[in-house]
Amino acid sequence: MSAVVAEFRRNRLSLSYVIVVALLILLVVAGGFLSDRFLTWRNFGNLFQQLVVLGMVSLGQTFVVLLGGIDLAVGSLVSASTVFIAHFLEWRPDLLWLALPLALIAATAIGALNGLLTIVLRVHPLIVTLGMSSIIFGGTLMYNKEPGGSVPRGLADFSYAKLWGIPVTAIVLVAVFALAGLWLQRSRSGRSIYFVGGDREAARLNGLPVNRIVVMVYALSGLCAGLAAIFLTARTGVGDPRIGTALTLQSITPVVVGGTVLAGGRGGVLGTLLGVLLVTMLNNLLNFLNVSSYYQWVIQGLIIIIAVSIHTTRRRQ
Amino acid sequence: MAPLETPLPRSRGMSVASVFERYGLIVFLLALLLVAAALSPTFLQPANLVNVLTIAAPLGMVVVGQTFVILVRGLDLSVASLMATVAVLATAFKATTNDAIPLIFVAAIAFSAVVGLVNGWLIAKRNVSPFLATLAMMIILQGVRFAYTGGAPISTLPPGMGFLASGRILGIPVNLITLALLAIVFGIVLHRSRLGREIFMVGSNRKAAFLNGVAPDRVIIFCYVICSVCAGIGGLFLLGYVGTVSNWVGQGYELDSIVAAVMGGVALTGGRGNIFAALLGVAVLVVINNLVLLLGFPIEMQLIIKGIIIIGAAAFYRTRLA
Repeated sequence: MSAVVAEFRRNRLSLSYVIVVALLILLVVAGGFLSDRFLTWRNFGNLFQQLVVLGMVSLGQTFVVLLGGIDLAVGSLVSASTVFIAHFLEWRPDLLWLALPLALIAATAIGALNGLLTIVLRVHPLIVTLGMSSIIFGGTLMYNKEPGGSVPRGLADFSYAKLWGIPVTAIVLVAVFALAGLWLQRSRSGRSIYFVGGDREAARLNGLPVNRIVVMVYALSGLCAGLAAIFLTARTGVGDPRIGTALTLQSITPVVVGGTVLAGGRGGVLGTLLGVLLVTMLNNLLNFLNVSSYYQWVIQGLIIIIAVSIHTTRRRQ
Repeated sequence: MAPLETPLPRSRGMSVASVFERYGLIVFLLALLLVAAALSPTFLQPANLVNVLTIAAPLGMVVVGQTFVILVRGLDLSVASLMATVAVLATAFKATTNDAIPLIFVAAIAFSAVVGLVNGWLIAKRNVSPFLATLAMMIILQGVRFAYTGGAPISTLPPGMGFLASGRILGIPVNLITLALLAIVFGIVLHRSRLGREIFMVGSNRKAAFLNGVAPDRVIIFCYVICSVCAGIGGLFLLGYVGTVSNWVGQGYELDSIVAAVMGGVALTGGRGNIFAALLGVAVLVVINNLVLLLGFPIEMQLIIKGIIIIGAAAFYRTRLA
């Protein structure tokens, strides 16, 4: 028995997966007992639909955290992208093929700018992305303070489309996560993120193009925020300058719950996906139990603290 | 972040660079005041200046505390949420007479101290990153507060609370007197006492501080308690200013207090900074905000300018140190 524990200790990551999976199973079982509508196919369909946006933003956040950084601009970036997409499509609904790539390119560029600023100015990413968040939010509000715009029928249909009863958006999300996981583990550029996150100086001395990797990772985070905005605009049908605000902080919870260490270099996207599932499922169950969203905040805060204390304490030993 | 630890060379005379570093912010503030006076005739009117200072006072109180945690390489994102929670706590007494004000103050400070203690414990003893610990605290306080109020603002306050915002003693606004007292007391603690030296030691190198006989955990916890208490007091004064308790009293103060401190030269890498310079940062921030309004720009412009300033100021001090 102790040998098993020791094996898990050596491989921290798998232990945190075990914890999250155990919690998920516990949640499903408890949910089944507590509410007769929780364990239904229909509810799981809704649940998968709900987790798409958070999942997408958290994926980008995972890359950044693996690098030892943090991206506080994602929320504002999502909001700004929804405003751009909805207003562009209201103006020219026929240019869907142009609007979406434009939004993605813009979001990626802003993400890349975040990375560039941390390198050029040598300012902590917390400050850079906080400042950028303020700038993006202000700019979006100056353009429009109220939710507005509209999306063509096709895009709205996409967000509700199902394949064998599973929302297409959720399938897309899982596919993106799978690709991201493969890329991180198997490719040279993916693995270099771990090196840079683990020890930036050592990575530089080993000849890795550190600056290029940093810019790439923040750009990826921007791209993920842009994708999340597309999902979000398709579902809500409007561009809302405030819709992403809460996402910034929410996107960090699944990352740390999934075992990715804030200091960088350790973790992965599978943990984040499980973390997103855990957080969304918990909120979903609490809704069924009529627990007010106010207590859901309390619970979310406690989850962050407990998850982080578990991970950090183990690292200390 | 380690390579930047080399101390600045000490020159006997004052080089241009060191003058700039020491007085740059004052020069910038004076220039800003001149620009403001030139661009807007209303700016220099006493009514507007008093208004600017009244807005600055609660923020200044928060910044005094925020400086302490940044000095030990921390950061407190829960200050704004704490301010609103303290404001709600003040209404929980359902007091209609001024007799309750001392009680409200004691309760607010005690509550804030407990919040700071939890933050500090998580960060020092449980090794949770300051960012996440105070972020979680912010969310928890928000949940507790909304669960209590049900989301609706309430306003049963002793009438005397308004005195905190508009009252004067010998013609000086009482909130400015309080800010000055806080700054002087904590300035002495920070820059003249043994504890203050320990804070700087822990901030610049926790291990070295420990080897020199300092108990880093205790110092860090102390800083978070101070930060929360300052924020709690700031919350009461802000409450006096706005009058009614909304669930979002103080929203944005976490960002603003960090911006002001960073602009005042408090290094986010810890161990470097001055409480009075941080307050100059408050002055610059508040004057800029005021100027944006006086010039008739939309208020959203403040967000953009604030964002540029926070990045710019952090970059400026980074470059100075490098």
